[in-house]
Amino acid sequence: MNCRSEVLEVTVEARQVEEAMLALLHTILLHRSTGKFHYKKEGTYSIGTVGTLDIDCDFIDFTFVRVSSEELDRMIRKAVSEFKEALSNSGSDGIGQISLEFYQKKKSRWPFSDECIPWEVWSIKVNVVNLANEQERQICREKVGEKLGEKVINVVEVINRHEYLPKMPTQSEVDNVFDTSLKDVQPYLYKITYQITDCLGTSVSTTMRRLIKDTLAL
Amino acid sequence: MAHFDTEYQRLEASYSDSPPGEENLLMHVPEGAKSQWHHIENLDLFFQRVYNLHQKNGFTCMLMGEIFELVQLLFVVGFTVFLANCVDYDILFANKFVNHTDSSKVTLPDAFIPMDVCSNRIRDNAFVIFVLIISGVFWLHRFIKFIYNVCCYWEIRSFYINALKMSMSELPYATWQEVQARIVEIQKEHQICIHKKELTELDIYHRILRFKNYMVAMVNKSLLPVRFRLPMLGDCVFYTRGLKYNFELIFFWGPGSLFENEWSLKPEYKRGGNRMELANRLACRILWIGIANLLLCPVILVWQILYAFFSYTEVIKREPGSLGARCWSLYGRCYLRHFNELDHELMSRLSKGYKAASKYMNCFLSPLLTVVAKNVAFFAGSLLAVLIALTIYDEDVLAVEHVLSSITLLGVCITVCRSFIPDKHMVFCPEQLLRVILAHIHYMPDHWQGNAHRYETRDQFSQLFQYKAVFILEELLSPVVTPIILIFCLRRKSLEIIDFFRHFTVEVVGVGDTCSFAQMDIRQHGHPAWMSEGKTEASIYQQAEDGKTELSLMHFAITNPQWQPPRETTHFISQLKERVHREATGVSSDTHPLSLSESEPRSLIANLLAGPSTLASVHFVRDGSITNHAAAGIGDGASALRSLSPISSSLHLRGSLSAAHRAASHASVMSRAMAGSGTDARTVSSGSSAWEGQLTSLVLSEYASTEMSIHALYMHELHKQQSRGELSRHTWHRQESDESSDSIPDEVRSEPKPHSKHFPRSQTFPTTVPSPSSIPTSASAGGSTTMGQERVSSHSGSQRRYSGPNTDSVGPGRKVVRSARVPMGGWAEDGQAAPRQHEPLPEEGSEDEMPPHIHKVT
Repeated sequence: MNCRSEVLEVTVEARQVEEAMLALLHTILLHRSTGKFHYKKEGTYSIGTVGTLDIDCDFIDFTFVRVSSEELDRMIRKAVSEFKEALSNSGSDGIGQISLEFYQKKKSRWPFSDECIPWEVWSIKVNVVNLANEQERQICREKVGEKLGEKVINVVEVINRHEYLPKMPTQSEVDNVFDTSLKDVQPYLYKITYQITDCLGTSVSTTMRRLIKDTLAL
Repeated sequence: MAHFDTEYQRLEASYSDSPPGEENLLMHVPEGAKSQWHHIENLDLFFQRVYNLHQKNGFTCMLMGEIFELVQLLFVVGFTVFLANCVDYDILFANKFVNHTDSSKVTLPDAFIPMDVCSNRIRDNAFVIFVLIISGVFWLHRFIKFIYNVCCYWEIRSFYINALKMSMSELPYATWQEVQARIVEIQKEHQICIHKKELTELDIYHRILRFKNYMVAMVNKSLLPVRFRLPMLGDCVFYTRGLKYNFELIFFWGPGSLFENEWSLKPEYKRGGNRMELANRLACRILWIGIANLLLCPVILVWQILYAFFSYTEVIKREPGSLGARCWSLYGRCYLRHFNELDHELMSRLSKGYKAASKYMNCFLSPLLTVVAKNVAFFAGSLLAVLIALTIYDEDVLAVEHVLSSITLLGVCITVCRSFIPDKHMVFCPEQLLRVILAHIHYMPDHWQGNAHRYETRDQFSQLFQYKAVFILEELLSPVVTPIILIFCLRRKSLEIIDFFRHFTVEVVGVGDTCSFAQMDIRQHGHPAWMSEGKTEASIYQQAEDGKTELSLMHFAITNPQWQPPRETTHFISQLKERVHREATGVSSDTHPLSLSESEPRSLIANLLAGPSTLASVHFVRDGSITNHAAAGIGDGASALRSLSPISSSLHLRGSLSAAHRAASHASVMSRAMAGSGTDARTVSSGSSAWEGQLTSLVLSEYASTEMSIHALYMHELHKQQSRGELSRHTWHRQESDESSDSIPDEVRSEPKPHSKHFPRSQTFPTTVPSPSSIPTSASAGGSTTMGQERVSSHSGSQRRYSGPNTDSVGPGRKVVRSARVPMGGWAEDGQAAPRQHEPLPEEGSEDEMPPHIHKVT
């Protein structure tokens, strides 16, 4: 609960799913990444540079900016294509949700495992439509482009708000806040998950965990 | 070529291209995570734990308590089993002789059965094995819970120490309001909640009481099946811990419950679309849980017994009143609870009402039973007297079989009988008592007023305030009855429940889904008959019954003076306060010939307070010399008044912050006057102001309950008038007219210097209703607000001194220096000992003991 959640909704054609998702996820990550931190002795650090790239979409009239890190791009592409697969295989009415969650790790003492505490969750709800003819596709292509533009502005607005961000860590804590596995860029720790059907049932394991916790509570 | 001489020169020391990433880069200093308390994942749980630790008086106390409980359980089970199986009672009772050769003495070890025989006996007895297994599981469960809690609370402990800067040793002496203020304070720095820059008190309450608020609302809207009409017993209430547990399991946290996690309702329950389907699903779940209950019945029974035994000490610890014969029932606690009222607030309120309530119940002794009891007591008493006389004559009588036991039995019998014989000096004045009770419990159905003497009222009240024996009996019956209620009653209500959760859940930013009643929004849930006429837009379905929204709002605003409610709400509160205030001042003028406003339709507070205040003055005049028992009935009124009258002063106290500085000039005079009387150290030590700040918060929190009492009474009175016109007026008038002749103490009026003369009385300061003496000076001032201020300045130095620091603590800066180490309950430190009489705590002293402070009047 103690985290912000933002919801974006898009309606796209099946072949546009991948690009639309990439556009949005990359836009968010662009703002949630920094250059690599180089720590100095006295507890100070300098920040490396981050390059950006313009990416033109094939199926949408849209161009977005992403961090020029191939590794990051690969990871996101992988997640998105999994999502796309799942979406097309689901055979349902093509509603899905992909969420990008930024979290912090908190070290705990022995009996408890490290906690991952999310502080911001972006949920992108996707609605896939089927179009009959080329004309409609053309219109859709433009419309989705416009929509995505609006979304990007939304994202920027949200990010510009002066709200909670994890404090800049010291060298020992940097892994608790940032994903330091990439060579050229350092996004906040993030996790991409997706869900296909509308059913949001809690899984058995969470229920059991809660049951145990509750019986143990004072 | 001429030599050009220009001003442009080549720079000699050219800079070398330094590789990037070196010294001319911008350097940052990481803030690091200064504390681990920013951004806590589960704030609900976190606040609950912070609250629990505070209620349990710190970590060590909690730890020791838990350990002892564990040991206790082991001991109880072990000892019982031992007594049942390993003792040869024949030897103890000397039915069987031990074949000792050397001496005829029987020793205790003789009566023990040898180990192997004993263990065999235990092994053969299936029931004992069953009990042992269950208690073993129970113990293990407690043990694991204990370990888990120690780990969790250790973290909370360090939160207290590192973030809140409170050590565990001072925790028992800090009020919850103080702790809360610190939490609000540190939110700005640590951001424990990331949604908002600032937390409000209401947010914290909402999180701690999320589910309790739902339960209160459901009981308030009579949604839960806890009232039944049975063929033989008539109207009765059945609400036990087992049932409550099941309700909570079904609604809030059990598998497949309505809530997704601690803070949000599942989205499908928020939509009205498929409510039928959801209702069916819920009904199905209730059925299954009911069946599971039925199957587990014997296990639960044993568990329940263990648990009851085990938690009994806990109950006593928490609620001093529980040592008596009666206790507030579980239903009563739900019915009487305000929205957003924490456990300790409810408990202290109910405990204050306990005496009056049990006195009220004792009014209704059946005359027939009394006659029988008197005679039984007579016969038993004569037998006992003979036996005792014989024993005194020759103690060998004791050696005769069963003499000792019959003496004991007769003694018990007499004691029981005595409880049925009313006190000769007791006067039947239920209406008064009910009023006193109402001042504390704040809720009461309309039809009780004016019917307090009826048996029906008593029966209904006994649903809230039951015999402890009944309570235990219900608990024991619960495993059998609960499944029946679940399957046959609750299941039918599933659709209503679904609707309830859909209609009355709101999502609050930074808090999550809460019960909308708990927002205490007059507009949404106000009841037109409870002062929110015209302000409320609620349909009948949305209105909270019994004025719960309004009273809860007042209660919350009074207990948390720093809370800033939304604008309309503020308006409501200030309006009500002003009215109460005005009427309170009206009272004093009422009793005085220079009466202010007869134009106003007979002020309500006058109704409430006239009796009391006049009584108070009577007490002053007679110097607490009312001893005859004719006054006993009034005594209760007097105690009511004692609880009420400080309010007017506390009203001033809170209302007159702005008047503080004006009052300052009076301070020295007053303190001298007080020093003369020598009792009020508060005033005596007026020079030092170091501890005033802390005192303020403490005193305010004590006044809060009193102030709330008067608001509750006032609202009830207003409600009654609204709904029934002038019908029941006479019940209040009688008393007033009885005393009215005495009510204006001549001395007081004739006092030349009202200020100073009047003042010594105000060591009973809380009790001093703005008394007539101040009227001549201040009544002429006119408007009610100015009157209030005048009164403060003319009232007492101590008040003023409270209002002084008060401005600091309530002011916008909110720089509260809460270094108070004053114990919660009493005033331990000598320098501050005197404010004791400042506790206006509406304790109903029994009518025959005069309030201590009245005795002290010089």
